[in-house]
Amino acid sequence: MKMNNKQPPLSPHLPIYKWRLTMFASIAHRMSGVFLVLTMPMAFWLLLSMSHGKIMYAYGLSWLQSSTGTVLLWLMCVALFYHLINGIRFLLLDIGKTDSREAMKLSAKIVVFSTIIFALVLAVKI
Amino acid sequence: MCCRVGVTIMSEKVKLEIYRYNPEQDDKPYMQSFEVPVEKPGMKLLDALNYIKWHLDGSLTYRRSCGEGVCGSDGLNINGVNGLGCITAIEGLKQPIQVRPLPSMDVVRDLVVDMQHFFDQYKQIKPWLQSSTPKPEHERLQSPDERAELDGSYECILCGCCTTSCPSWWWNGDRFLGPAALLQANRWLKDSRDDATGERLDDLEDSFKLYRCHQIMNCMEACPKALNPTKAINDIKRSLAKRKV
Repeated sequence: MKMNNKQPPLSPHLPIYKWRLTMFASIAHRMSGVFLVLTMPMAFWLLLSMSHGKIMYAYGLSWLQSSTGTVLLWLMCVALFYHLINGIRFLLLDIGKTDSREAMKLSAKIVVFSTIIFALVLAVKI
Repeated sequence: MCCRVGVTIMSEKVKLEIYRYNPEQDDKPYMQSFEVPVEKPGMKLLDALNYIKWHLDGSLTYRRSCGEGVCGSDGLNINGVNGLGCITAIEGLKQPIQVRPLPSMDVVRDLVVDMQHFFDQYKQIKPWLQSSTPKPEHERLQSPDERAELDGSYECILCGCCTTSCPSWWWNGDRFLGPAALLQANRWLKDSRDDATGERLDDLEDSFKLYRCHQIMNCMEACPKALNPTKAINDIKRSLAKRKV
């Protein structure tokens, strides 16, 4: 029998923990927030440049109608929609509303499923 | 009828995969498979672990004591979610049942983890009554309403299922107090007999100790006593905000 004084192993966490909807809702909130921070400057740049005459407008429009532009615009809208409604969910929790166990789970379901519906509708309409 | 049901159940077997690690023999942890007969209706996961230890492999190591969800010894990660082995029914669990120690803890052996840091964090919130009034002859009284304020906090058995389910605690467990300690912190803030509210809030007002909670709510989902640490943490945040107004 060998004795070793090595560091004890850390029990597994993220790879084995079962995803719960509330966990997904919180992590998706952060991810959508980071995504929006990264893409908002691009959106403002697009808006500013498109307001600088016909040529720039046509250029911006053609980029928006390209497949990259469409997908990015769709992603931004979905991220904004999700971040907005989950943000309202978090604000309600901050003021002490909807903070029962049942309401926390139900509100996570509502924000995630309404985002899925929004994303699908937008994908068809865009 | 009863016996026939008994026989049917006796012939059933459940498959388990259990996290094993013996520091004296193993270089790294591994999962070991077992098959356990269903001995009785309503059999719990702890019964299966006991069967393995008593009949199949005496070296399997885990903590247990009361066997009925009161002592908080057998917090485990069961099929990816934390819970108590003694009150988690085998029935309804997806097989093979994956049993691992509580997540993000130093493993002492098999399913036994080092709880020292967890209890140190509990100690940090000073979980005892701090009163500035003279010691009364008998007990310190509370009205029924004041007592009811402690509902949802006092039931905590410090099993660690919530704290070790929290991703914020996985990443910042050295400084973030975690759901169990914060639920208890809120319990003392709400206690009408406690006079140290100001000092307690001062201690908690820290970007890491308290504000690493991002409302992931794994704690609430994992709690075997159906408590809500996320709500307790929000209550503390609101108490801090209120005293600034």
